Amino acid sequence: MREKILYILGAAAIAILVWNISAIARLPEETQQGVTFKIIFFHVPVAIAAVTAACVSFLASAGFLITRNFKFDAAAVASTEVGLAFLAANLVTGSIWGREIWGIWWTWDARLTSALVCWLLYAGYLMLRQAIEEPTQRATFAAVFSIFAFIDVPIVVFSIKWWRTQHPQPVFWAGGSFPPDWTRHFLWNMAAILMLGIVMTAVRYRQEEAQREIDSLRRMAHAI
Amino acid sequence: MHLLVQIPFLAQLVTEEARLQHQYEFLSYGLTAAWVILAVYVLMMVGRERKLKREIAGLRAMLEEKHGE
Repeated sequence: MREKILYILGAAAIAILVWNISAIARLPEETQQGVTFKIIFFHVPVAIAAVTAACVSFLASAGFLITRNFKFDAAAVASTEVGLAFLAANLVTGSIWGREIWGIWWTWDARLTSALVCWLLYAGYLMLRQAIEEPTQRATFAAVFSIFAFIDVPIVVFSIKWWRTQHPQPVFWAGGSFPPDWTRHFLWNMAAILMLGIVMTAVRYRQEEAQREIDSLRRMAHAI
Repeated sequence: MHLLVQIPFLAQLVTEEARLQHQYEFLSYGLTAAWVILAVYVLMMVGRERKLKREIAGLRAMLEEKHGE
């Protein structure tokens, strides 16, 4: 039953995204950046989904260190991996947008650099997990590393406020706004991508639980 | 074509069309990249799911066999 709900949610998210692409294509051009500006409909929602995943990972890691319950560890690894995929999509769409608007694929400004460092830190988290065999030690070390990696997340979010960067100020924070039509489609995309993130995290969480079941079956097989 | 572009109105039209085409090209690159990354990740997840299911079934069968002995 739970599996069916997940698949329905995932299919609904993809349907919304596909429907929204055609709606977004029909929206008028942005005055300064033209059609390219529409990358914002994906670039920002995937960034918000990545930050949300990092927050979940941080809370789950803290939860594991407090309770020693492996469900928290599974939630942490699931949300980190999904967040990493979203952050990769954010970095790549940003780079393509930058090439068109700034004329460069990449620049070492505060926002871009801190986001890349964030991606590398969370990739390091997954590599660390691969390197440790013993489950309790792996979960403990990974939780500590995840909490350490989370320090970079507020730096990524607020870097455009704290420093003058090549990356522009956000549309909403800096007192700007979208026309109502744009806001509606932006929120639809936001909802669909978050929904997709929830489904992917839930599936990945289940896989982590299955992995723990395999570990216990292996121990049983050795014991017999 | 070259001669037609000499007419200011048509020249403007051609430039505008080229600009739009270029922008749509980059927009499509951006959207394709985002979709491809997420699709590759989903495919990796599907592959992992199959592998885990196979492993669980194999281990269960092995344990049942051992219990039978």
